Amino acid sequence: MEQLILLVAILPLVSALWIQLFAEQIGRRVARLSVTVTAISFVISLVMLGQALLGHDSFTLQIPYTTSIVLFDPLSTLLAAIILGISLIVHLYSVRYMADEEAYGQFFGLLDLMTSALIFMVIAGDLITLVIAWYLVGVILYFLLGQDTRSETAYRFSFWTLITYRIGDLPLIIAAALLYNAYGTWSLTTIFDEIMANPNAHEFMGLPLPEVVGALVGLAAFARSAQFLLHTWLPYTMDGPTPVSALMHAGIVNAGGFLINRFAPVFIHSGDVMNWIFFVGLVTAIFGSLLMLTQNDIKKALGYSTMGQMGFMIMECGIGAFSLAIYHMFAHGVFKGTMFLSAGSVINSARQDDGIAKDELYTFAVEKQPNKFSQPWIIMTGITLVVPLIIFVLAHILIAEDFYSNQSAIILLFFGWVTGAQLIFSTYHMRTQSMWRLMMKSIISLIVVVLGYVFISHAFDLFLYPSEGFRSQLYTAATIDLISYEALLTAIVLFVVSSWLFTYYSEQNAVRRGKQSKHMWLNFYTLISREFYVMDIYTRLTRSILSISGRLNVWLRWL
Amino acid sequence: MSETILLLLAVIFLPVFPLSMVFNAVLDKTPHCWMKVIVIIVWPLVGLYIVLNNQFELPDWLIPLALFTSVLYALRMLSLREVNQWTGFLATSTWTLLWLVVEQNSVSTQLYGYAISMTIPLAILIILSKGLEDRFGAAYTELYGGLARTVPRFAGILVVAAVAAVATPLFPTFFFMFDLVVKTVPFNLYATAALLLTWLLWSWAGARLIQGLIVGRASKVKIVDMEMYSVFLYGMVIFALMFYGLHLGGVIL
Repeated sequence: MEQLILLVAILPLVSALWIQLFAEQIGRRVARLSVTVTAISFVISLVMLGQALLGHDSFTLQIPYTTSIVLFDPLSTLLAAIILGISLIVHLYSVRYMADEEAYGQFFGLLDLMTSALIFMVIAGDLITLVIAWYLVGVILYFLLGQDTRSETAYRFSFWTLITYRIGDLPLIIAAALLYNAYGTWSLTTIFDEIMANPNAHEFMGLPLPEVVGALVGLAAFARSAQFLLHTWLPYTMDGPTPVSALMHAGIVNAGGFLINRFAPVFIHSGDVMNWIFFVGLVTAIFGSLLMLTQNDIKKALGYSTMGQMGFMIMECGIGAFSLAIYHMFAHGVFKGTMFLSAGSVINSARQDDGIAKDELYTFAVEKQPNKFSQPWIIMTGITLVVPLIIFVLAHILIAEDFYSNQSAIILLFFGWVTGAQLIFSTYHMRTQSMWRLMMKSIISLIVVVLGYVFISHAFDLFLYPSEGFRSQLYTAATIDLISYEALLTAIVLFVVSSWLFTYYSEQNAVRRGKQSKHMWLNFYTLISREFYVMDIYTRLTRSILSISGRLNVWLRWL
Repeated sequence: MSETILLLLAVIFLPVFPLSMVFNAVLDKTPHCWMKVIVIIVWPLVGLYIVLNNQFELPDWLIPLALFTSVLYALRMLSLREVNQWTGFLATSTWTLLWLVVEQNSVSTQLYGYAISMTIPLAILIILSKGLEDRFGAAYTELYGGLARTVPRFAGILVVAAVAAVATPLFPTFFFMFDLVVKTVPFNLYATAALLLTWLLWSWAGARLIQGLIVGRASKVKIVDMEMYSVFLYGMVIFALMFYGLHLGGVIL
């Protein structure tokens, strides 16, 4: 039974090798082989997940004739099932979608190889296996994104992905080296046990080792999960095949959240790093969402949407809500994967008939003609302030009474409040004639979503981190100092209140819009449309390095 | 022979800048493909033989200069378009790092193992560049492109050889670099930084080489692809390299 976990990762690898070796003999049947193997692996992963859900103890297993270790625990079984589920859907979708591709067999071979690398990554029980799998995911993704070898654009941006991933590999390699030198073993469980027993046993450059390792793991996660300044590859890698985009946005990009979860015992002892992770996630969430809203290219908008979601996921890790990040990863994966995979059929049917009912939503969103009548803004402000807050407080109390005993819960609550406020704000902004009906629908939707979200995230909490003490330690480690905490909450409150004041001001002075404010908006829009010049700076930097390289070769006579 | 002359010979054969230019000049002037292959395989072994059979003290400047050489040649690889030259620079950037292992008094069999297994992908690249010259008249990137569509088998082997040469996991050079990082990180952070920078530049240069050759539309002229038996032979060598890499890295018992 224990060997099954190994089978989950090895089956796709065998399929990939088989396809690579006998592609010409197998012909178009490669797809059938690949799909069958992925389906079998998926079923096995579900069996493993079932075992974990039934309370099977975590264990490690050494791969025969090697020093590699695989780890059976709630995190590895859950993620293996999610990866294989998404991979199976992508496989099925690709059977017909990629049918006209010349390198049809090679594509399925790479897809299987990617699946295997991802599974090895999540079940790795030692640092070498983890580093190898982590590294290989980037390399395989490079070739998957460049599946169309005729497209120079596809390769140009898959190169950006590769190089960003390589930048992210380096901190993980340093972290692995530091841990090995300190503890003399590659085994993750042994290292984590020793860190839990004595966190301050080792130092590096005068800093506690868990802090240093936590920071390095955080950096590796940032590159993989497209955090701000390491995000440019994500919105631009849209020239790859749609199934690869789906796999990337639904699965691969989430690896940062997995890595932070895997190193949870390290993060318990690196509170400052958690605060930093929260800040980076927050900045990414804001920038990603802002850039998403201003794109006129829908594919880039999707890319920035993923970036924003990754920001939220990393932010959740930064406040100690590790299992919530895993749930977020799962929910976002399903949602984004569906969007990518259904895009083709939606475009196709939209060509026949746009299928959009000419209702109030259409008038607002497409024709941009909101109703001139609007409800008194002060009533709406009251609803915005009170309703989401009540829903979130009640939902959390319903699930766990002591939820508000930790600071992270309050931060989460406030972000939930912003989301709810935004929903009601948008509803108000639509100025529909049946405002109250729409408002009630929005609030009921919010209640359903919030209850579902809170309930499932609590269930994930109990499954992934069954020890209450451990969960509590995670939240405690994420605690920020009182001044920053209060400043953050004040900023959120000010954000919501100022939005309403701005709405009021706009309504009162709709006609008199100053030249200065127009100029300011134009500058702001330019900044956003250039995507904060990040890509421009990187392009300039790349050209400079290539120029230096060329000059050196000329000076040194190409020897 | 005096220690100075031996050291001088050693830094020529385990190339350290500026004497590294000797190796690249020799490789450039060597007329025939198979002679180039012999040069590239024998060169680091001669260097290792000199070092391991003469117990001389390594001067303090040697390791920093070796690291500088490695970064310098990795950086210079970025703007190279000729495949033989690119391979020679990568060989220089890789072999010079053997000095770090020599300094740590590693077992000589392991050192020879690393040297040979890291050189084999480079030798394959030299042979493949001859294949490019025969088919297209020159082994230049961004000149014709489209190899993936024109000669898919040839392109496949070329990609795997390039990937193996730039220290991608499962191949010996990966475990060599990983081992070096593990050994240097507690004592010499500058060395670790130089190693990681070199590694990153290799990946960049590797991607540029691959993109410059395989991407693009298929040639309108019919070009003969690699024979199946050659693909099988190269495949066997590459698999053997992978297993040896895993063995060197201590993954396979």
